[in-house]
Amino acid sequence: MSAANSPTQAGYSRRSMLTHMGIGAGLLAGSGLLSACSTVSTAGNAKAAAGGTGGIASAGGAAYDAEIKKLVNGRTLQVGWTPPILSEMFDQMEKAAFGRMAELEEAYGIQWKWERSAPTGNFDAVEQQVSTVRGWTSRGFDAVLVCTGANFATMQNVYQQAFDGGTQVFQFNQPVEVYDEEDILAVSNIGYDNRWQSGYVAGSFIAETLKGKGKIIQIMGPSGSDWSKARQIGFDLALKENPGLEVVGTADGGYLRDKGLNAAQDLLTRFRDIDAIYGENEDMALGASQAVDAAGLKQWDGSEGVVVVGADGLISGMEAIKAGKLTASVDVGSVDQGRAFIDAVFRRVVLGEHVAKIIEVPTRVVTKDNVDAAKAYIEGNMNPAKTY
Amino acid sequence: MAMTSKTGVAGAQFGRLLQNPSSGALALVAVLAVAMSMAFPAFPTGTNAGNIANQMVFVVLLALGMTVVLITGGIDLSVGSVMGLSAGIGAYTITTGVPLFLGLLAAVAAGGFLGFINGLLITRLGLPDFIATLAMLGVARGVLFLWTNGVPLTGYMLPEYYIISGLEQPFGFLTVPMLLAIAAVLAVGLLLKATGFGRHAYGIGSNPQAALLSGVPVNRIKVTAYVISGLTAGVAGMLMAGRTMTVAPTMGIGFELSAIAAAVIGGAALTGGRGTAFGALTGALVLSITANAINISGVSSAWQQVVIGAVLLLAVVFDRVSSLLRERSARLRIKPVHV
Repeated sequence: MSAANSPTQAGYSRRSMLTHMGIGAGLLAGSGLLSACSTVSTAGNAKAAAGGTGGIASAGGAAYDAEIKKLVNGRTLQVGWTPPILSEMFDQMEKAAFGRMAELEEAYGIQWKWERSAPTGNFDAVEQQVSTVRGWTSRGFDAVLVCTGANFATMQNVYQQAFDGGTQVFQFNQPVEVYDEEDILAVSNIGYDNRWQSGYVAGSFIAETLKGKGKIIQIMGPSGSDWSKARQIGFDLALKENPGLEVVGTADGGYLRDKGLNAAQDLLTRFRDIDAIYGENEDMALGASQAVDAAGLKQWDGSEGVVVVGADGLISGMEAIKAGKLTASVDVGSVDQGRAFIDAVFRRVVLGEHVAKIIEVPTRVVTKDNVDAAKAYIEGNMNPAKTY
Repeated sequence: MAMTSKTGVAGAQFGRLLQNPSSGALALVAVLAVAMSMAFPAFPTGTNAGNIANQMVFVVLLALGMTVVLITGGIDLSVGSVMGLSAGIGAYTITTGVPLFLGLLAAVAAGGFLGFINGLLITRLGLPDFIATLAMLGVARGVLFLWTNGVPLTGYMLPEYYIISGLEQPFGFLTVPMLLAIAAVLAVGLLLKATGFGRHAYGIGSNPQAALLSGVPVNRIKVTAYVISGLTAGVAGMLMAGRTMTVAPTMGIGFELSAIAAAVIGGAALTGGRGTAFGALTGALVLSITANAINISGVSSAWQQVVIGAVLLLAVVFDRVSSLLRERSARLRIKPVHV
């Protein structure tokens, strides 16, 4: 560790700066730079609010709240939300968003009309999202929130039409770091940096756990996916900073459990003597973990075994961490993203404020040591006061 | 290939071999296996054979059902979605606390039922096979997503399920899914070769008009074919639910294409009237060995698409050549009558 420290130093300070910027941006979305609308900034407070004590004190105080309520004037905001697929990740995110919407409704009397449209993962997914956004635009939605695997240029055209039609477009969980910021038309992009807040973090965790030395098997997402590309950049930097780490084998797990299991099983046949498996998402990592068991290898127990790392931050993944079936996972902030994008929509569309083009929520490495807190944070948001 | 240069006595035998639709696929498997064994010592091992066998079970089952449907001249695009929804129904049933076998039965029955609906839509309403099963692909997948809200189903892994799904191997190399797949190959093989259903199915696929005119119960045979396809999808879903210990609503996406590819590589014709259970098995073997070889060799996964596409193309070209040969030898046999 100490040996690996000096080359790490330069890279890490740059990284930690970015991370702090990320946190700052998250807080900005949550509690407000201009001490504005945010009545509640954390899920813990949200619980208290849901408890129904009546008076919710925002950072601006009662007089400010009353002014905003006047401004909102019972307005109904029509919002469309389209994730690339329905999954546990996006379910967590949507419920957190509902919680934040309910808080804003209670505080300022804003009404929400929420529509969700998610492709079901068959071959027409991208076209379906494009036509969904077009449909919402023509129906005059106030805002649409998009996360998509569709081609970047195609989506910018769709967004331009939306803006022309008076609909504000926001993106969430989109790996915008792989595009030029000037080219991104969306008002705001609420997510995290897949390079430095996910791929790099996972690689660094493996390095730290293995004390800078070990053989890694990597199960990747579908080749060509922007998420996959971005995470790889970060993971590669972590590898560069830790020359003792070596990726001996890689395979495509398509972000799916069964493909991840097959890929890990095949690779473990060729490379039995490995120290870690990096699954680019949790489902693949869990599949890989099954392969570790099936191959008769030992899961990491804190001092020896195979380290299995994933990324997502799902309740199911955290249960696997508790059960010792997953060493760690990068929680990419599903709850914070959900709350932050609702704030961004509210402050831009209703209050007319200027929100940052790129808003990054904090991410964290969840291990057995902190899994209870991370799990409680998400679960605290899974029963919103109201669903839309 | 080098073998084509051989002529003479071997030529006649080779000609017969060429006419067996599965032999092209088998030759491909052999070439791939030899090349992989030379390059990677980990490939020709018992462990890897076990990996391949366990991984191919799903495509074997789906390809068997697909082959039966293709023989009757139909196509079933819904098998991947039916597999997912059946798995979901099975998993949910188990979580209600009923005995495990009832849950497994529910999964298989759900598959059979969805296949039955496919069959009815096609025979009673006269919908084209492609459209009816495409609709089922969407409906079954959509239902699974709406029902689960995208959240995977878990909490159904009873101890015996680990054995049934092959996660535990009390019989050494052989797992329950492998045995089930072997049993399914034998059952479908017998069904096609030794029963009236089989004869009728080939008849309908080769010439639907003639079959109808000669009193073959076309509708009943077609419905049965789709039920068989649904049942195999149900069994595949039931096994996959066990293997992955969770039913993600994405389970089985894209498997319809693997099933069709395996069936066609194994000699089934999209035009109907041709296909065998053994062919489905070899087709699935080709796909699984290819995927395994790509994982082990570390070749970019983009190649998997290219290789499978190329293998499919080769198989179809091979099939075309062999059917041309068949036609030519048929003409040669007929000639003496005219002379």
